[in-house]
Amino acid sequence: MKHVVSIEGISKSFGRVQALNDVSFEVPSNSIFGLLGPNGAGKTTLFSVVADFLKADAGTIEVLGIDTRTISRLQGRLSILPQDAQFQRNVPILDQLVFFRLLAGRTKKQAREEVVHSLELVGLESFAKRRVGSLSHGMVKRLGIAQAFLGHPEVILLDEPTAGLDPASARQIRDLIKQLQDRATIVVSSHNLGEIQELCDHVAILDHGKLVLAGSVDEITRADREYSLCLSRPLQDSELEQLNSIEGVRSVKPLSHAGASQSEGSAEYLVTLDLSADHIDQDTVIAPILRSVLDMGIAPRKLAEGRSLETQFLEVTGGQTDQA
Amino acid sequence: MNLKTLTIRHTRLISLCWSRYAVRSGSGLVYLLIALIFGLTVAHVLITPVEQLIAEQKRATGKMDPPLVREAISEIGQPVIQWVLGQKTLKEIMENAAERQRAMMNDPNNASLAENRRYDGSGFDTWVNFLIEKRPALLSAIFLVLLFGMPFVVSFLAYNQISGDNQSRGLRYLLLRTERSNIYFGRFIGTVIFSTAVMAVIVATITFYLGMKTRIYPAPALAGWAVCGFLALSILMVPYIAVCSLISVSVDSPFLSLVLAKLTIAGVLFMAILGSYAWKPAKYLMYALPWGWQCNLLHPEPAHWLGAVVACLAYAAVFLMLGYYRFERRDL
Repeated sequence: MKHVVSIEGISKSFGRVQALNDVSFEVPSNSIFGLLGPNGAGKTTLFSVVADFLKADAGTIEVLGIDTRTISRLQGRLSILPQDAQFQRNVPILDQLVFFRLLAGRTKKQAREEVVHSLELVGLESFAKRRVGSLSHGMVKRLGIAQAFLGHPEVILLDEPTAGLDPASARQIRDLIKQLQDRATIVVSSHNLGEIQELCDHVAILDHGKLVLAGSVDEITRADREYSLCLSRPLQDSELEQLNSIEGVRSVKPLSHAGASQSEGSAEYLVTLDLSADHIDQDTVIAPILRSVLDMGIAPRKLAEGRSLETQFLEVTGGQTDQA
Repeated sequence: MNLKTLTIRHTRLISLCWSRYAVRSGSGLVYLLIALIFGLTVAHVLITPVEQLIAEQKRATGKMDPPLVREAISEIGQPVIQWVLGQKTLKEIMENAAERQRAMMNDPNNASLAENRRYDGSGFDTWVNFLIEKRPALLSAIFLVLLFGMPFVVSFLAYNQISGDNQSRGLRYLLLRTERSNIYFGRFIGTVIFSTAVMAVIVATITFYLGMKTRIYPAPALAGWAVCGFLALSILMVPYIAVCSLISVSVDSPFLSLVLAKLTIAGVLFMAILGSYAWKPAKYLMYALPWGWQCNLLHPEPAHWLGAVVACLAYAAVFLMLGYYRFERRDL
């Protein structure tokens, strides 16, 4: 698999605070890559180092085979939605984006056409002549996305692209990101783990500046012989014991972390199978579990193979939640 | 430090955008306003006594005699210009004035303005003579005061070249689209363009008013000297904008950048002046900035004038290189 972003041993500290500590991973070509981590894990710092806003203390980053210390060679090929960057408040948004395209060598007419198209993508075409100061937070976020999509960048870094957007706008942006996957590699950081699981095919999880997990979403969530089971009510101890005694079941444990199903009366369990015996396979164990649950008068609400990304995230980050 | 990354097209685009943005963002308007108020106030303070003199003359004789008015201006302006150029101390000037007064009291009939000048111990210095006799003296005096004051004013425009956008992280939208060198030098050039335009407006307004209202100098002489004064002021602004640029890349807060720019520009001068009272060599502190050279931008000798121009550009180059070195390496 070809990699368009290669991060090798990146470390960065601010005074005594080690923001990134020997982080290494690769982003496959034409993937939507999710960067996850609790607040302060180093996601934004990593984005900033990739874009050469911040200088790394150690390590190297290559984007499209080019060392980012010579970032100018990536002009037009790499773009970013910075998390906390502000546009000029008193300049019409059209003028600001046209200026970016003029820098890319477009004529005024071409630049204007490209900008209008980009604004249409994020639903801001009717605000083109407005100043940034008059836009809402969500609109400014969409404007940031529009500037990141300007031109035809091959790698797009989106730092929390849907944060602060209403559900409809967030859905629109997610659809847009999916459409772009054919022609660009997109790296997304998000607080919304469900969104990342829906959107991304690869993820990396950072915690306290260290990489704790990286790989494809399938690999990470398909923890071998594990199922998440959501029931209509919590199991009593005797019922839990009964499920644990089924042949082929190694353990049934309640998921009590913040991301576990918390709807009224329901409960979520992690079922781990022991398929070491030759005559046992997954189906021969799952069926008796479900039968037992039904016999207890409990309705199974969900049975999913593997763990949710959220479960995995919470496990590797020690149960810290990134969600507000 | 790699200046090969500079591209003319990007630098031009950024400088033009920045000079327009200077107006839109408000800092340019603040500078324009303060510079105009300062420039026109200086002109008003210096022109008003002349207007009164003309009015008195008209009342007394029914008409204005331009040579006589020019003579009076030269007489009043001479000690001031000598002091500004550093040729005489205030004490010497006061002593000369007292001596002249004594001479006038002893021999009132022989106290014409031309005679009085001869009591000035050192006689006419070529430079002072050039400024008050060969060129419109009133405009010379205005330019000298502007040369002294404008460095303080220009920091209102130049303090925010980088710091504001760095604090708001707005620079990050540009950093993947052009080189840091283009941003740094483009904004510097944009600031110089805006400052030069404001200088042109101030000098043109003062010269036009002086020409139309007082009519004591011939128009070609006024226009020619106005161009020289405009050039002097425009060149002088370059190193001061460059020092503001260096400060602006070194701190993230625009307010702190403004305060540091003011303290640096004023501090160097005042430390040199006040320090020299206690320890003579302290006066050389003023050469940390172009304070010691800048009056030569109105010098009659081409070599002196050229020396001042080269000094101003050399200061600008040093400050710019230091600022660029910092900008290229820092986290943004």
